[in-house]
Amino acid sequence: MKTFLKILLASTLAISASAKEIKLLNVSYDPTRELYQDYNAAFAKYWKTKTGDDVTVSQSHGGSGKQALSVINGLEADVVTLALAYDVDAISQQAKLLPADWQTRLPNNSTPYTSTIVFLVRKGNPKNIKDWDDVVKPGVTVVVPNPKTSGGARWAYLAAYAYALETSGHDDAKAKDFITKLYKNVPVLDSGARGSTVTFAQRGIGDVLLAWENEAHLVLKEFGADQFEIVTPPLSILAEPPVAVVDKIAKKHGTTEVAAAYLDYLYSDEGQEIAAKNFYRPRNAAIAEKYAANFTQLKLVTVDQEFGGWQKAQKTHFADGGVFDQIYAP
Amino acid sequence: MKSKNIIPNRLIILAIAGLPFASPLFADDGAATNATEAAEIQALKQEIQALDQKVEALEQRHEAEPPATTNASTEQVQALDQKVRVLERLRENDQDAAATAARAQPKISLGASGFTFSSADSNFVASLHGTVQVDSRTFQNDDHIQGNDSILLRRARPIFSGTVYHDFDFMFVPEFGNATPGASSAATTPSIYDAYINYRYSPALQLQAGRFKPPVGLEYLQSDSYLSFNERSLATDLIPGRDLGFELHGDIAGGVVSYAAGIFNGVGDNQRNTTDTAFQDNREFDGRLFVQPFKTTSLTGLQNLGLGAGGSWGTSSITNTLDLPNTTGGTLSGFVTDGQQQFFAYNPLAGGVMAHGTHWRLSPQGYYYYGPFGLLGEYVISDQGVENSATRRTADLKNTAWEISGGWVLTGEDVSYNGLTPRHPFDPRNGNWGAWQVVARYAELNVDDNAFPVFSNPATSASAAQAWAVGLNWYLNKNIRVNASFSRTTFTGGGGAGASVPAAVTQHAEEVFFTRIQLVF
Repeated sequence: MKTFLKILLASTLAISASAKEIKLLNVSYDPTRELYQDYNAAFAKYWKTKTGDDVTVSQSHGGSGKQALSVINGLEADVVTLALAYDVDAISQQAKLLPADWQTRLPNNSTPYTSTIVFLVRKGNPKNIKDWDDVVKPGVTVVVPNPKTSGGARWAYLAAYAYALETSGHDDAKAKDFITKLYKNVPVLDSGARGSTVTFAQRGIGDVLLAWENEAHLVLKEFGADQFEIVTPPLSILAEPPVAVVDKIAKKHGTTEVAAAYLDYLYSDEGQEIAAKNFYRPRNAAIAEKYAANFTQLKLVTVDQEFGGWQKAQKTHFADGGVFDQIYAP
Repeated sequence: MKSKNIIPNRLIILAIAGLPFASPLFADDGAATNATEAAEIQALKQEIQALDQKVEALEQRHEAEPPATTNASTEQVQALDQKVRVLERLRENDQDAAATAARAQPKISLGASGFTFSSADSNFVASLHGTVQVDSRTFQNDDHIQGNDSILLRRARPIFSGTVYHDFDFMFVPEFGNATPGASSAATTPSIYDAYINYRYSPALQLQAGRFKPPVGLEYLQSDSYLSFNERSLATDLIPGRDLGFELHGDIAGGVVSYAAGIFNGVGDNQRNTTDTAFQDNREFDGRLFVQPFKTTSLTGLQNLGLGAGGSWGTSSITNTLDLPNTTGGTLSGFVTDGQQQFFAYNPLAGGVMAHGTHWRLSPQGYYYYGPFGLLGEYVISDQGVENSATRRTADLKNTAWEISGGWVLTGEDVSYNGLTPRHPFDPRNGNWGAWQVVARYAELNVDDNAFPVFSNPATSASAAQAWAVGLNWYLNKNIRVNASFSRTTFTGGGGAGASVPAAVTQHAEEVFFTRIQLVF
């Protein structure tokens, strides 16, 4: 009888101690495919070592605005890693899936890495594009996604607008005129950053792609430095793509703990290294220093400084009837 | 054209320049002509130089012009190429957008499983299904009962079902056919059979509210479309029919364990709740646990083995005649034969019989299906408290019934509790004849001896019935089925004189030949 009880106890302990299989869904924006492919593998290894559990992270990618809408409409994301805070705010406000103060829960406004907008031009820079003024010249064809659907496009729009404000003594009319000229040079508005990369790099359209810095480096890596080159303008915008646990979905899935750990680990040395290797500017100073050669120094303005925060910027520029609707005619 | 003219022009110039040296005049050495010749030569030299300069100028001009023209053409070509690429990309994006929009469009499907509308994300679904059964019943040796041989519309039910907001299911089933077994004329009136809302938190946790089948009897819970015979067996005579209530139910571990427990208004044996009112003030509790222990294992021979038990418990705080199958002997169904004729009624010689006290049921049940073979069995105890309104005598009557039925699909298709689908739907032009199945059944129902004579007249009501049946089912396709079967029911007790039921029924063994044409979609 005792032997039987021992076996029963051992079996019970063995069953209770067996590894769990955990699944997470990370809903992200367009150009983070490669970053999270690397990061998910690293996190799975870390989590297995730490807890013994197997974690599989599935990815969903698309224009940041579209992705946020998908989550609002029922896509069950355990975590979101979107292009801008406004899109996470939308999930919080419209679907109530996470609290309004979500951005305070992680360091650096829940932004473990940053990026900026640069110019990707064809080899030799035939149109001699050096700065934003060159982009709005007649005869220059610009490729950039649609700011209504793409987070990257909103950053690019605001970078150009900020340049115009800075160089015009903050004359809003002149800035509007500048941005009008810019979008007159845009023949195709893709819905996301990856679509615009395809337009520029694969379809051979345009003289310059207004791209995420990491996306521009990826193009060089994929297509070769003999076809394209990166031009970093003297001034651009500090893009801060935030991350957040979608509380209600994670709770429903029973993944709150692992989802939080998944995002925390982005701030770890390994997470920051992976970000840097994928050409995202790491927050960790030591790792930023280590990869300094990958990132040209430039003046970076912020949305808060130039536009009074994302809520205001969204309402003024990208909401229906906003500046973009006024200046852009397909 | 210009480039072609350059070489001839130069040849002409050279020819002109060389002409003096080739002429006989140039060969003469006379002194008189020297000065003149020298002057001429000098003039010619100058002319040649001038021409040469002109040629050079022309050449330079000519060399300069073509590149200018080529650059312009190249730019034009590049511009056109960009335009074409842009147009192609715009078209590509439009196609993507159209494909995305198409994915967001509602879906419509029409097929053997009915007609279904669905939102793109399947969160909203509306389906239309239906059942039509056209039966015939031909009784043998029953000249004493008029009018029971008939062709009837046994069931005619449009079935509306669907889902709203992903987790809320609904079903609405009106009946336009001959609704009630042993129906009175009133029973042909269209009525609502099923009307319920089901909330699915998960497959294992669901809450259903409305009118539906209570979770007790295995045969009764099987869909009408999949029954082996035209009518359910004697065992179902002791099972509660459709009722109004709330039920918590679910499937655990992929259906290995199914449970259901609910609170209902409460109905009598083989009765259904046809109104929104309870037959008694107290509620009835119904529940069922069913286990298919090998369902998810690799033991294919045991995957469709299911065992379980259903039961109910309720009390009547006041006596109520409606809670019993019958109190008058003839207008309601009571306990009925396969031919839907009443063989037992609560019809004492004095007074009426009312439900009184506790009514509980217990039904161990099970089935086994493997390939073309199927077997289903059920045992039911129905313990009914009753009171005679004249004598005020009470009793707990323990009525029991059981059945076992089996079938074999001659054409080899797999059969299950949820029917079968012919491998080769009926298509005689191509030599396909659908699926054929033989079925057999034996069932008994025994009324408690204490029912007689205080609560039922032993001269007219049988105290027991035994029925066997055999049949042949032809599945033309998934939607159309043709049945033919023969059933024989013998009785213990009853059989007294009289032209009305149940006496008229119990006078002889019942022999009835059934046919059915069924459409289910």
